[in-house]
Amino acid sequence: MNDQFLIDKARENLKEKIVEITNPARRRIFLEVGLDDLLASVSWLKNDLGFTHLSTISGVDLGETFEVIYHFANNYCCLNIRVKIPRDNPLLPSICELIPGAILYEREIKEMFGLTVQNIPDGRPLLLPDDWPAGNYPLRKDWKYERPPEVIPGGEK
Amino acid sequence: MLTKLTHWSRLKSPWILHLNTGACNACDIEVVAALTPRFDVERFGILLKATPRHADVIVCTGPATRQMKDRLLRIYEQTPEPKFVMAVGACAMSGCVYRGAYNVIGGIDQLIPVDVYVPGCPVRPDAVIDGVVKLLNKLKGIE
Amino acid sequence: MNFQIPIGPQHPALKEPIGLRITVEGEIIRDADIRLGYNHRGIEKLAEQKTWIQNVYLTERICGICSHSHTTCYVQGVEKLMELETPKRGLYIRMLISELERIHSHLLWLGVAGHEAGFDSFFMYVWRDREIVMDILETISGNRVHYAINTIGGVRRDLDELQVKRILDSLEVLRRRSQYYLNLGTTEPSFVARLARVGYLSREDALSLCAVGPTLRASGVPMDVRKDDPYAAYDEVPFEVCTAGTCDVLGRTVVRIKELFQSYNIIEYLMKNLPTGPIAVRAPRRAKPNEVVSRYEAPRGENLHYIKSNGSDKPERLKVRAPTLGNYAATIKMLKNGFIADVPLIFAAIDPCICCAERAVALIDARTGQEKIMSLKSLKELSLKVSPTTTRKREIEWPL
Repeated sequence: MNDQFLIDKARENLKEKIVEITNPARRRIFLEVGLDDLLASVSWLKNDLGFTHLSTISGVDLGETFEVIYHFANNYCCLNIRVKIPRDNPLLPSICELIPGAILYEREIKEMFGLTVQNIPDGRPLLLPDDWPAGNYPLRKDWKYERPPEVIPGGEK
Repeated sequence: MLTKLTHWSRLKSPWILHLNTGACNACDIEVVAALTPRFDVERFGILLKATPRHADVIVCTGPATRQMKDRLLRIYEQTPEPKFVMAVGACAMSGCVYRGAYNVIGGIDQLIPVDVYVPGCPVRPDAVIDGVVKLLNKLKGIE
Repeated sequence: MNFQIPIGPQHPALKEPIGLRITVEGEIIRDADIRLGYNHRGIEKLAEQKTWIQNVYLTERICGICSHSHTTCYVQGVEKLMELETPKRGLYIRMLISELERIHSHLLWLGVAGHEAGFDSFFMYVWRDREIVMDILETISGNRVHYAINTIGGVRRDLDELQVKRILDSLEVLRRRSQYYLNLGTTEPSFVARLARVGYLSREDALSLCAVGPTLRASGVPMDVRKDDPYAAYDEVPFEVCTAGTCDVLGRTVVRIKELFQSYNIIEYLMKNLPTGPIAVRAPRRAKPNEVVSRYEAPRGENLHYIKSNGSDKPERLKVRAPTLGNYAATIKMLKNGFIADVPLIFAAIDPCICCAERAVALIDARTGQEKIMSLKSLKELSLKVSPTTTRKREIEWPL
């Protein structure tokens, strides 16, 4: 199994679903698909190619769109699937039926970016504290944090 | 007479409670390593206790995160008087590398009064023992 | 069942606070839930405001026990972004520190496992031997934890002949001591009976819940990033992936002990074949716009960093997936249909790096819906009281 073999198999099976496929380094393949084809691509990867291990889900704020990357790994390489979602309508289908281990990562990306994950089995926030004010999504680029001035006990104010 | 006895026993054998308010664990492992045969604080009578009701000294590591703020205050209130707080590590003193993060308040002295500061990132177990000795000297001062 | 024990006790062998909520029916756990977030510090947001080299020190402090794994994973990614070629000697020194970290982490875990199973002398012995490893780390790097030996482009400190000789001598002592622990841990019937068939996770569950590290390898799946996706110079070093087939806490203990021996062999190979040459190359201030995925095998499992750059001297996005997070879904599966008395042991078996100091376990009685808070210490006392009365499991298949 090598990179070229995986790229050829992806092209012949997913055909028009692929927007772009790149191989920037050895054992790293980046595959971009449209939002509606996400579940089909993940199920093909799991059943045909044997990529059952999901390492994590990352989100990037690109301004007008959010980019969500699913990092899959098997015993040869790391294949990353990318989808782009518009900022004003951030909906994302959940892949928890195919990969049950994705639940924690989807909860995290939901609370950090404010995305809406459809059909998520358990949508509670994962990491943010209980008294976090709603509507604040820390990892968006336009969310800034101002540290309140600190009081040094016994020192100057 | 009884106060003299309790004061002497507190000096000779302070019981500590170890509280982690969101640290990276390095300071905690070093505090636990102070119990192991190489540094061995138990020969000084220092016992690691599991509940705040038994403790004389609260040994605190880590920057205070927002989630731990209420718990830290509650534990501080549950510990009976007289109590002392030891801030161990650069994180508990001022926040170390995490200053400016959105979930971190800063050092723990923003929330509770601290008696002894032990610097280091992470602290060496020898420094922890030294901190406890300095605290005991301070205790002697109020005799 | 009514337990009225106050919240907030600390556990002597400590890590971080998390909250567990367990639904019980009698003594059997029906459901479990984990509340994370006590330890959330907002590092990913902070990393976007610091330069590449400042982030090396920030990522180091994500975790204290596996600090070198986070820096190496980050630095590997940044070196790919900046297209730097790290010299061989630098890679070998990095691998040496990685393996020393793996040894100290596994010895730490062995001590904690012994403590959770009620075997405190074992805990003290193992941690005394761990000091040998901490001394070696201190002579090489200057600090017992947070070694700061990585820089973008290589390592910061070099080894000399005397240190190499000292490392090889200490390996002899460590091998002898580990053999003693192996014999002790395997032939002590109460220790083995305490660990066998606790926390069962079948192979299919481990794969579908995306478990990582020794938790996965103890269910018979030979996935190890050092073999599948070799980074640094691991494709030149001979070693084997250790697995066990019993899928329980005993299997995880055995996997970690076997990995100790593999690490000793790797270090011996590295010290005998250390190449000469420079230890670092100079790194530029800025990186071209690109993205990279960097994976690393930490003592607890697979560590993944995703870094994206936009041409300036600060990263655009740094995403960190620590190995323990991958094991949480599997932990919940393991807790179901187990006994309450096994909760501390199951939790310690995944080697949590985000685990509980103030571990308050809220027990919800499934029949009445009443909630009682129980401390971890009292759970442990309960487990120690219960275990002598359980029947000894005589037909335990030995995974070695």
